[in-house]
Amino acid sequence: MYVVVVYDTLAERNPKILRTCRKYLHHVQRSVFEGQLSDAQLRRFQADVENVLDLGYDSVLVYTFPPGASPQRLEWGAVEPAPTDIL
Amino acid sequence: MPAAARTYWLTSPCRIRRKDESLIIERDNAANVHVPVTDVRDIVACAETDLNTSVVALLNRHRINVHLLSYYGDYAGSLLTSETSTSGETVLAQARVAQDPHTSLAIARSIVDACAFNVRRVVDRKLLNRPYTVLQESIKNSTSQAHLMGAEGTFRRSAWEVIDTKLPDWLQLGGRSRRPPKNAGNAFISYVNGITYARVLTAVRLTPLHSGIAFLHGTMERQRHSLVLDLSEMFKPLMAERLLLRMAGRNQLKEHHFDRDTNQAMLSDAGRKFVVQAVRDEFAVTVAHRTLGRNVAYDELLYLDALALTRHCLEGAAYKPFRIWW
Repeated sequence: MYVVVVYDTLAERNPKILRTCRKYLHHVQRSVFEGQLSDAQLRRFQADVENVLDLGYDSVLVYTFPPGASPQRLEWGAVEPAPTDIL
Repeated sequence: MPAAARTYWLTSPCRIRRKDESLIIERDNAANVHVPVTDVRDIVACAETDLNTSVVALLNRHRINVHLLSYYGDYAGSLLTSETSTSGETVLAQARVAQDPHTSLAIARSIVDACAFNVRRVVDRKLLNRPYTVLQESIKNSTSQAHLMGAEGTFRRSAWEVIDTKLPDWLQLGGRSRRPPKNAGNAFISYVNGITYARVLTAVRLTPLHSGIAFLHGTMERQRHSLVLDLSEMFKPLMAERLLLRMAGRNQLKEHHFDRDTNQAMLSDAGRKFVVQAVRDEFAVTVAHRTLGRNVAYDELLYLDALALTRHCLEGAAYKPFRIWW
């Protein structure tokens, strides 16, 4: 399924969550990630995230899209190019 | 094929590095790109690529194969991860089938027939009707793999000639030439064949089959995985010839997509990107599969064929090589 992940964490934990997200998803904005995950990968991702964050203070939002669906992306301003598999 | 991950295609010279337990692609002329390692199924590198030990360690941990294509688009080699689906029983069964001249020749015959069928289907059914019946006759009479390959060569030669009649002058093949390809058309075919070979290798690695034990090609011929040469035979016309005819017919291939010299040709940087895109999209096209009762991507057809061959070796289930059924 396609997911968009947004996080809000204490500044000192930012590098940790960034590193974890980079392993699973494409970095599209400072605290925004998107990409394709399987159910198993999502669970593994969740476990990794819970390991590095203090869930009493930090928060992570995951928007999921049903399988087969891909969100339309409107780009305003100086946006990084969309993730692609041809480099 | 299993896993939700994707194939990544590298079309410009780059260095793959490891960063934060993930991959980063560094290029001279563009910004660095982070690639999430869990999103990578395999990598096809169509341009000069550097990598180091720590990347290889990471790729190995995530079971990611890297296929490298050379300057002219021939298959140059692969970085294969340690074998995951091992089954001695399958390899022994495969060796037994390959060693028995009767059974291995039967498989080789059906592969040559299926390949020619696909070529005829893709190029021109009417004009290749006669060469195809001649080929079927010689397949029936052939007594060895060398015979078969000779007969296939004859058929292929007439097919190349028919293809030439459908191409614009500057793309015409004038006979197949490789390493290096002599002209633009040959460069295109070489390139797409190289990619197809790499995709089939990935598919074969997902099964317990040994990629060096083959039925039609000699074992480990030209430092290639001979089984992959066998299996890619049927899929090459589906990708290379079909895409060449289609893209030429739609006037999509332009002269600036190729770098041409007096006696050799290759894809230019723009052309490489364009062709890789076209091939990637083509592999994602789906067709309704009759027995599975669902839609199947071309990419998955390669895997299904490798699986069918596994079943043939292990259980003696009939092996029918891939034929274009639509």
